[in-house]
Formats: sequence, C-alpha cells, structure tokens
Amino acid sequence: MDGPDEIIHQPIRLRVMAALTACDPSDEGLDFTRLKGLTGATDGNLGAHLDHLARAGYVEVTKAFVARRPRTTVKASPQGRAAFASHVAFLKAIIAGM
Amino acid sequence: MTIRSDEAARMLADVDSVVAKVKQSRIYRSAALIIMLWGAINLARDGLIALAPGWFGPRWFLVDAIGIAGTIAILGYSGAGPGARLPMRTLAAFLLCYAFGWIRADLIGNFSPRQQMAFWPTLFLFGYAVAGLWFGPAFTAIGLGLTALIVAGYLRSGETFALWLAIITGGGFILCGLWMRRA
Repeated sequence: MDGPDEIIHQPIRLRVMAALTACDPSDEGLDFTRLKGLTGATDGNLGAHLDHLARAGYVEVTKAFVARRPRTTVKASPQGRAAFASHVAFLKAIIAGM
Repeated sequence: MTIRSDEAARMLADVDSVVAKVKQSRIYRSAALIIMLWGAINLARDGLIALAPGWFGPRWFLVDAIGIAGTIAILGYSGAGPGARLPMRTLAAFLLCYAFGWIRADLIGNFSPRQQMAFWPTLFLFGYAVAGLWFGPAFTAIGLGLTALIVAGYLRSGETFALWLAIITGGGFILCGLWMRRA
C-alpha cells in the first residue's frame, strides 16, 4: 500500500482535488469562485493552495479575461487525478484495516 | 505521517460531499439551460397563438417539438445522466406527459380552455417538483413556486390570465433558469 500523498492530504487541497477530479477530463475545469464555494476557503488561502498543487503538477491553472473580467479556471492534470485516486485508495485501505 | 481510521473516514466523507456538490452543480447547469429554453419556447408559442390563433392554436405542438428537440440536444451535449440512453428516456418522458395530460384534460376532464391553459404547465411543473426529490431542492422549489403562481393567476387574474401565464411560463422560467445556474 502506498503512503499518503503529503500534498493532497491537507483538507482544503483534498477538497480541491475532489472537486476537480469529479469533473470530466474533457471539461474545462472549475472556476476560482466555484472552487471557493466548494472548499470553504478564502481568496488568499485558496490561491496559495492552488499554487502548491500547480507546483506539484497536480492542477493546471488558466487565467483569462471573459467579458473584460479576469477569470481563473482550474483543471486536474492526469498526474493529479492519479495522485488523488491513489490517496483515496490509501484512505480506504486504512478504514479497511489493511 | 499516521492517519487514524476515524480521520480517514472523515476525509472520505468530505470527499464524497464535495463530489456530490459538483455533480449536483452539473445537473443544475444543464437543467437551467433547459428551463430557459422552455421559457423562450413558451413565450414563442403563446405569442404565435396570440398572433394567429386559427393556425397556431391547433398546431401548438410544432413549437413544443422544437423545445423537445432542444432539450434532448442539451442533455446529449452535457453528457449528464446515465449514458446515451438519457435522450431517449427524455423523449419517452415527454410523450408520457403529453399522453397522460391528454387523457386527463381532454378524454376524462373535458377541460375548458382556461382550465387547459392552467393544467398543462402545472403538469410539467409537477414533474420538476418530483425530480427535485432525486436531483436537488432547486427543482422542487421551481416546480412548487411556479405552480403556486399559475394557480393564483387562474383563481385571481380574471381576463388577464393568458398574459399572466405568458409572464410566468415565459419570463418566470427564464428567471428560474438564471437562478438555478447560480444555485
């Protein structure tokens, strides 16, 4: 059994990855505001966690202007999806007593 | 790092909760588009019937057919629901609603034109209210809220009922769709 993923283990980052991996890989991902609502994080807090995940290669952050407003979209990378699946499997194994 | 079993269970529950919210949000987004589409369809149908009652009155289903095709297209594009069978189920659901509505309103009830006008949108809104039990409370809120407004208009609006109905089933649907997108 693999160990916990130290990056995803943090509660806000776990929620971020849960939300992003629930989206279809072909989707554009989730925007920053929606992620904020789903994770209960503040702007600054979420931004810092996204930076952390992006540096690990787990998410792709895209910044664009839509109707003259800045819009940040976040998507799970294939590497992030695999890491999240592995971390969830690790948590399930703990519960199963393995 | 050591994680206890109860901590792992709490984390997995957190994950499940977030995933459920994302899935509901996707359902709401598709449903919002469909509600707004039907708001526009209702406005178009009522407008055409008002302009040419002799021709469009008995052919209202032509406009509804566009709405049904649009609904199936949105569901097919969104990929919401259990695979490719969903559009055919949606078509079947519409046909069942029209069939039951026809049996109730024409065959058994012999409803007056005013009763027919109130009955058909409330029949479909009943479907929304029930769908909310599975897909999220916004469906039930829209179904019950708009039905209450239609019934209020049926009972209180007198000669302006057609206009009231156009506002509720047109503008009301579009506003509810916009609200649902943000829910």
